[in-house]
Amino acid sequence: MRYGLSDISRNLCRMSSHSNVLREEEFWALKDVSFEVRQGEALGLIGANGCGKSTVLKLLNGIFWPDIGKVAVRGKVGALIEVGAGFHPMLTGRENVYLNGAILGMTKAEVNEKFDDIVEFAEIGDFLDTPVKHYSTGMFVKLGFAVAVHCDPDVLLVDEVLAVGDISFRRKCFKRLKELRDENVTWIIVSHDAGTIQANTDRVVLLDRGEMAYVGSPEDAINEYLYSLSLKRVTPGSNAAQVVDSRSSKQSVAADFEVDRVVLLDKNLCEREVFATGEPFAARIEFTAKKKIEDPAFGVVFFNGDNEICSESVTSFDGVRIEKLEGRGSVTLKTDSLPLYSGVYRLHLTVRDGSLAPLAEMSHAAYIKVSGGKLFSAGMFYMQHSWDIELDEDRIGSAPRAV
Amino acid sequence: MTETDFTTYEPDNSLKKGYRSLFSEIFSELNRSRWLIFQLFKKDFVALYKQSFIGVLWAVLLPLVAVGTFIVLSGAGVFNVGALSVPYPIYAILGTALWGLFSTGLVASSNSIVAAGPMITKINFSKKSLVIASMGQALLAFFIQLCLVLALLVYYQVTPSPAILLIPLLIVPVVLFTLGLGFVLSLVNGIVRDVANMVSVVVTFLLFLTPVLYAKPTTGVLAALTSYNILYYLVSVPRDLILYGTSDYLKGFLLSSAVAFFVFLLFLAVFHLTETRVAERV
Repeated sequence: MRYGLSDISRNLCRMSSHSNVLREEEFWALKDVSFEVRQGEALGLIGANGCGKSTVLKLLNGIFWPDIGKVAVRGKVGALIEVGAGFHPMLTGRENVYLNGAILGMTKAEVNEKFDDIVEFAEIGDFLDTPVKHYSTGMFVKLGFAVAVHCDPDVLLVDEVLAVGDISFRRKCFKRLKELRDENVTWIIVSHDAGTIQANTDRVVLLDRGEMAYVGSPEDAINEYLYSLSLKRVTPGSNAAQVVDSRSSKQSVAADFEVDRVVLLDKNLCEREVFATGEPFAARIEFTAKKKIEDPAFGVVFFNGDNEICSESVTSFDGVRIEKLEGRGSVTLKTDSLPLYSGVYRLHLTVRDGSLAPLAEMSHAAYIKVSGGKLFSAGMFYMQHSWDIELDEDRIGSAPRAV
Repeated sequence: MTETDFTTYEPDNSLKKGYRSLFSEIFSELNRSRWLIFQLFKKDFVALYKQSFIGVLWAVLLPLVAVGTFIVLSGAGVFNVGALSVPYPIYAILGTALWGLFSTGLVASSNSIVAAGPMITKINFSKKSLVIASMGQALLAFFIQLCLVLALLVYYQVTPSPAILLIPLLIVPVVLFTLGLGFVLSLVNGIVRDVANMVSVVVTFLLFLTPVLYAKPTTGVLAALTSYNILYYLVSVPRDLILYGTSDYLKGFLLSSAVAFFVFLLFLAVFHLTETRVAERV
């Protein structure tokens, strides 16, 4: 409150409000964020919640002024942000279209001209003259979207609302948005959905707590995002440098068995830290058995950033029998295709002897960093697969056979 | 592609452009927003009256009750209305109609920014239009009460002066004064929410202090205060002109109108320079 009043009075007296200096309890919502978008280009903004994406949109929309720096926009700005803004529940759909159009900056002539298109797009039908409070949420949102999408902006700001409603409507939304793209409209999109970002943007800016963490192609930026996200979760409080060295978090249970180290290997058996989705991967466990151990079993579990089990492999479950361990040796878990998507995963190792007594347990035996590779199929993991295509060449051009 | 094609936002934006371009900016914005103002007014109107049974008549009912009370009180001799050449009801209702422009207008406009809610922080549109549209309610109420006055004039067979045709002009000063105050109060209310409540209280209080429903006192503190009370001139002189064709306080009226005009321009500029600060904190 104090700051608000002080800023207002300083502005009036033509004094600078010294906005480049932080006062108590203030923080930088955005810091050193700089980018340029050319006409017709589509820029994506991604990042964790609260990293400042919506603030960037507000700056571009002219709702806030920057405290340091400059924002320059050429052309009319439209926003798919608060869809249905200004909609009053007591007004009918028709009245709300006019109201919303006026608020979004359209002229009366413009709304009149596009009215029929808007109504048809929204699929409201007979409910046009009913008060909006009787609409279902879907209808409400469709109407709001229909008005916003007919705005004819040069620059379109989209905040997570790329397509709403049921499937047929969503398809219509995407089609209309694609038309806008073809008309050389410049886009700035904020989204959490990797697929949306990848399909619709040329470049992506990754924001992390108000700062630009990465600028680049959609694939790279999303990789970076997923990776940094799980990095934080898998190793809370630690930074990247520590992760590399933290293989020392051993918890040996028995004195006669010691895990020397766990090494991650690629297909050439070279040590690596970062792997791509779908590539060959191996984890080698090197150990020293100080006493003879009969019938041991090795179990390896992969945990993701949310501490969910992704995969578990145990030698005894797979029918792999080790008769005895004595002295030094190694056990390697191999796969031809690493199914894990971008992120950081934790390897949990358990070693037991024949009587199921624990010999060693390491909850942070290793960290597998997965970056790049086969991204953007939807799903929790990547399944190695191949395709077989069969076409009946004789039947091309003839009538279908009766079944 | 020149610099002027770009819309730029910088820290302390309006300072850089200087005061001179200020008013051309403001008035071109208002010109563009004419239809928006109408739409916003329509929304308020429909929202207020759509599901009510008495509907628009509320604009008449409330002042009637107030005036009716005063009529009863004056009949009982509780206060002195002075020598009037028109029946008290006409005098009183015309007075409350003109006062209503100020009171209803001020309360509505000081609330207008906050009432718009999330629109302010999500969409960039002309916020001045919100304040101006909120005056629409007051203007409509005035018009309805005016019709009531006309009906009473017919009933009591009183002929008003030709100045009655100048009503649209005569109410300009009080409307501008209200708008000016409304601009600044709506902004401050966005940051310090008590303001709107204080306004309601103060306005009611002012009604008692300003000789609208009773005659101007000739002695005492109140007499002295009243001669400096802008609202008194802005409300009672139009009434005198409409009913009698002349007024003793024309000079005061012209002076007050000048003040009103100045207040309007000043606070309109203030609003323009500081409206984004409110978006940050509303």
